[in-house]
Amino acid sequence: MTLILNSINKQINKNWIIQDLSLKVKDGECLAILGPSGCGKSTTLRLIAGLEICDSGSIFINDEDITNISPVDRKIGMVFQSYALFPHLTIYENLSLGLKIRGISKKESIRRVSSILDLLKLEHLSTRKPAALSGGQRQRVALARALLRDPSLYLLDEPMSNLDAQLRERLRPELRRLILNGNQPVIYVTHDQHEAMSMANRIAILNDGRLVQIGTPKDIYKTPASIFVASFVGRPQINLFPESAGLIKGIRPEDIFLDNKGIDFKILYTEWLGTNQLFHLDTSQGRLRMLCNADISINSDHKINWKQEKLHLFDSKTKLRINNG
Amino acid sequence: MNYLLLTPAFLLILLVFVLPLIRYSWMSMHSISVITGLDYIPNNGSNWIRLLNDDRFWRDTIQTIRFAAFSVSIEIVLAIIIALLLSQRIKGKGILRTISLLPWALPTTIMALGWRWIFNTPYGPIDQISSLIGFGTLDILSNPDLAWIATVIGDVWKTTPFVALIILAGLQTIPSDLYEAFKMEGGSPLQSFIKITLPLLKPYILLSLVFRLAQAFGVFDLIQVMTGGGPASSTESIAIYAYLNAMRFLDFGYSATIMIASFILLITICLFTWIFYNKLKSKLSI
Repeated sequence: MTLILNSINKQINKNWIIQDLSLKVKDGECLAILGPSGCGKSTTLRLIAGLEICDSGSIFINDEDITNISPVDRKIGMVFQSYALFPHLTIYENLSLGLKIRGISKKESIRRVSSILDLLKLEHLSTRKPAALSGGQRQRVALARALLRDPSLYLLDEPMSNLDAQLRERLRPELRRLILNGNQPVIYVTHDQHEAMSMANRIAILNDGRLVQIGTPKDIYKTPASIFVASFVGRPQINLFPESAGLIKGIRPEDIFLDNKGIDFKILYTEWLGTNQLFHLDTSQGRLRMLCNADISINSDHKINWKQEKLHLFDSKTKLRINNG
Repeated sequence: MNYLLLTPAFLLILLVFVLPLIRYSWMSMHSISVITGLDYIPNNGSNWIRLLNDDRFWRDTIQTIRFAAFSVSIEIVLAIIIALLLSQRIKGKGILRTISLLPWALPTTIMALGWRWIFNTPYGPIDQISSLIGFGTLDILSNPDLAWIATVIGDVWKTTPFVALIILAGLQTIPSDLYEAFKMEGGSPLQSFIKITLPLLKPYILLSLVFRLAQAFGVFDLIQVMTGGGPASSTESIAIYAYLNAMRFLDFGYSATIMIASFILLITICLFTWIFYNKLKSKLSI
C-alpha cells in the first residue's frame, strides 16, 4: 500500500496553508511530518483524512484516486491529538460504535472489539467512561479505534503530545509494535523532533505550507537543506555565523572541541545537562555553543576548534545549503 | 468567622425569600379578609380544606401545567434548532446571535401587548390575513379552547432565545474532533446529531428545563396582559388566581394558601428534574 500526494494546494481564508506539496509514503513506512506550529502539518493530515478538501492536486492510496471521496471510504485509521473519545460512551461502546454504523454484525463486532481490547490490554477498562481513564489509557483506546478500522493508512496527529515525558518513552515501543510494524503507510505529525527522529523512517519538514526537506532522520540532521532546517532540527541549536559575503557557516555544538590550536574563547555561562554540558562562549566568531562531556575541565591554554568537513555552508541570500556534507 | 462573609447573602435570602415564605405559611392558617376587618383569625386549616375542594384551583393547576409543559417543550425543541443554526460557520454570526436574543431582552408586558394586538379581532394581522384568504376572523383570544395556545405562542416567542443561549453554550463545549472522528467512522450528520450532540447536550437541556419550568409555572405578567386569565378563566394560571383572591376578592388568607400550595408543587417538580439532572451529569461525568 502506498500513499501519494501529488502537488496539493490548500487555501483557507485566502491564506496559503499548503503549497504544492508532493509526498510518497510506501507500505510499512513511517513518515513524520515535522514543523513549527502553523506550518500546515495538521492541515496536511486533515486533507489526507478527507476532513478538508484540496483546492488542487490529487491524493492516491494504492493507485486509487481518493482526492474527492468521503472520509469513511478512504479507510483511514486516525488518532487525534485529543484522542476524540466519546465522553458519554464506555470504552467498549466507543470502539464498537463505528462497527455498528458500518453495518457489521453484532457477533463479528463483539469478536473484533474483544480481540483489540485483549491486544492492548484494555479489557478491564471496557465498561468505564473515558473520563475514568488515565492519559496513557485514553491514548491506547484511541489507537484501538484506529486499529479496528483495519485501515489502508494510519494518520497520527501528535499522538503523544498530551502525555508526560516518562509515559511517552514507555509508549513508543508499544506504538511501534502495534502500528509501525504493520504494512500500512503511517503518517505521524509532530512538533517534537526527538519523537520524529526516533519513530520515523523518514521525516518531512514543512515550513509555511511548503515542503522544505524530506529524508531519513540521519540525512536531515547531517545535511540540512537550508538554514531553517539546520536550526529547527538539533538541540542544542546549531551555531550560525557569517563566513564571508554571501556565505553563512554552521557548526553543530557537539562538533566543536577543545584543542591546542584554534580560536580563543571566554566562557559566558555553562548549562549542566547531566550526561554532558553546554558552554556558551564568546569568541572572535561571535557567540558559540559548545557541547562537551560532563566531566571535562577547561584550562586557560585551551582553544576551540572543529573539523572542516563538519561545517555546513549556506548561501546567505537563498538560505540554502551549498556544500554536500 | 468564615461564615461572617456570607452574612449579606444570607440576610438577602432571609429577607426576600425565607421571611415571606414563613409569613405566607402563617397567613394560610388564618382568615384575613374584608369580613375579618383584615384581622388575623386562626381558622384551623380551613383554608387548606377549601383549597383541596376548590375545583377552580385544580383546574388552574392543570391549565398552568398545560401551559408550562407545552411552552417549555416547544421552546427546547426550537432552541436546539436555533442553537444548531447559530453554531454553524456563517457570515454575520455575531449579529444573528444578537438579533435572536432581542425578544428575550424585551419587557414581558410590552411584548405581551404586542401579541394581544397580533391576535386582536378583527384588526390584528392574524385575523386580517385569515379574512383575506377567506377563513373569516379567527377570534382566538375570545375562544376558551384556543386562547391558551396564543399565550403559549407568546411565551415561546419570548423565551426561546434564552433556552437557545443555554443550548448554544452546551453545543460549544462539544469538541469538533468528536464529530470528525465520528465522520471518519462513517457516521452521517443525522447519526452524529443523535449519537453525539443530543447525549452531550442532555445536561444543558435539563438545566434549561428546570429554569423554564420554574418560570412558566409562576407565569403571571404575560397572561395578565394578553388575556387577563380569560375567556371564561380558560387561560387562568395559579398565580393569576392567587392575585385575584388577594386583589379582587380581598381574601388574603386564601391567596396566601394558594401561593404556598403552588410553591410546594413547583419545588416538587423542580426537585425531581434536578435529581434526574444530577444522575445524568454523574453518568456523563461532565
